[in-house]
Amino acid sequence: MTPRLIWRCVAMNVMMTIEYRGEFAMRMVNTLLGPLISLLVWLTVSEQGVRLPYDRDQFITYYLLLSLVSMLTATWLGAYLAAAIRQGDLSPWLLRPVPYIVNDIGNNAGEKVIKLVLLCPMVGLVAVFLRASLPSDPRAWLLFTISLPLAAAVAFLLDFVIGSLAFWIQDVWGLIRVKALVGGFLAGQWVPLALFPARFQGLLQIQPFRYTLSFPLEVLTGHLTPAALAYGFAWQVGYCVGLWACYRLVWHYGLRAYAATGA
Amino acid sequence: MPVILVDHLAKSYRFYRKEPGLRGSLRGLVHREMLETKAVNDLSFMVEQGEVVGFLGPNGAGKTTTLKLLCGLLYPSTGQAMVLGYTPHRREHSYLRQIALVMGQKNMLWWDIPAMETLLMHKEMYRLPEAEFKRTVDELAEILEVAQLLRVQVRKLSLGERMKLELLVALVHRPQILFLDEPTIGLDVVAQQRVRDFLRTLNREQGTTILLTSHYMDDIEALCPRVMVIDHGQLQFDGKLSMLVERIAPYKLLTAVFAEPVEPAVVAAMVAGLDVLPSDDPRRLGLHVPRTEVAEVAGRLLRLGNVVDLSIMEVPVEDIIRQVFSAPAGGKELV
Repeated sequence: MTPRLIWRCVAMNVMMTIEYRGEFAMRMVNTLLGPLISLLVWLTVSEQGVRLPYDRDQFITYYLLLSLVSMLTATWLGAYLAAAIRQGDLSPWLLRPVPYIVNDIGNNAGEKVIKLVLLCPMVGLVAVFLRASLPSDPRAWLLFTISLPLAAAVAFLLDFVIGSLAFWIQDVWGLIRVKALVGGFLAGQWVPLALFPARFQGLLQIQPFRYTLSFPLEVLTGHLTPAALAYGFAWQVGYCVGLWACYRLVWHYGLRAYAATGA
Repeated sequence: MPVILVDHLAKSYRFYRKEPGLRGSLRGLVHREMLETKAVNDLSFMVEQGEVVGFLGPNGAGKTTTLKLLCGLLYPSTGQAMVLGYTPHRREHSYLRQIALVMGQKNMLWWDIPAMETLLMHKEMYRLPEAEFKRTVDELAEILEVAQLLRVQVRKLSLGERMKLELLVALVHRPQILFLDEPTIGLDVVAQQRVRDFLRTLNREQGTTILLTSHYMDDIEALCPRVMVIDHGQLQFDGKLSMLVERIAPYKLLTAVFAEPVEPAVVAAMVAGLDVLPSDDPRRLGLHVPRTEVAEVAGRLLRLGNVVDLSIMEVPVEDIIRQVFSAPAGGKELV
């Protein structure tokens, strides 16, 4: 797996995404609308005098950045992978002297390049409209840029491993849907994890979905102590390594069960 | 030295039997009957370097499964295969760099972008030096007549054009062994002929070993000096195509055209014991004649005096294969 190969794979997916730029632009509108609706709900709650851990500016920062981070860490390939396994479409890739995961890495990264180009101006416009103030601490931005690719890796590997269960399970769609719903909730997609009751905070901090979305935002918004930062990064790296090991194990045995359906 | 060695190879699939209807579905929730089918059953053969071998057999005979086992897409249930000294299912990258599989219904080409992008991707995957890559692409594109199509989106191309590009992509790393599963399926006759010509050239000039399955007899006749007939996962015949023809059809097709319609009574006496082929033309007589009796029967017909044309031909291979394919389960042993 050479860097040139990864680059070629990403470039190819950028080209394919450009072919469907109109559709992707609409998808980015959707990506922005979800957090904006949540933001409006929380701002309304806040204006009613309810005491919340975040003030107005923090809510705006959280949800604006959430739209970008959720796009950059999003993964959608588990369902496609499951279909490819079930329908035998994995076969052309298995004939190549390259692991299949390279295809999905390329697809994931390639689409995000175009999505970023489409989403950034939209987020910028909303930020100007809401007079948002972004975090100014360079250290927070530095740690954010480390935690962001790690979050993308955790999300990607989790999805990839679940999709790979199609080697044995006829239909993993149900599992993928449950993961999307529960995962979104536990990742802080709709409600910042800091707003959950205190008695759940211990569990929330160690569950994997936190490290797919919430953690990079927590790092950037400066809500974490140095000890909590180190603890969080340790969990995030741990999930990356553990899920990579899971992927290798699942594929080692999964390929034995692969039926290569179809001519 | 053989490049492919297959020894008692077998592949079984397990599946559940499901009764039809709602009741069957509900019953399936608590009790399912597991069935096992042997797609490949105790298959053994060898292929030498540079051979072109055709796999023949009816649908579900095990031809494609055999190719998939040899490419490493499937794990065998029992037995083993060695290809170029590698065990295929280990899918070592050094092995995959030396083989290619072209499947008529599964594509290597990316749909939304020109084929050249797929080729460039393969250049990185197979670590092909720039000069060698360019030379190979130019050469293959010229032979396959697709140079003008390399920069056109794949989805804009015809089926025939896509299949030729699939071949180009499969061959850009110059594999030693080429597995072809129905490579001309869906192509028009002109495109079929071009693909056949190309494969023949590839085998002759580069010594590429080719194993192919096809339902088009023209493919087999044009390319394969050796054929293997597989049915129910087992090898039924392995040898020259001409031997298969002799074995399935131990007779020739003799056709005589008379100047005047022939008397049925005369014909009946003449061809007693022979298989007469139906004909709409009363002047034409077609017979299946045992190979050893062809000269004698032809002489008898000519002695009638009013024969204006006489031809002696092999039974079309297409008909032979139809007989092979339509053999009932566990049918005729050919070996």
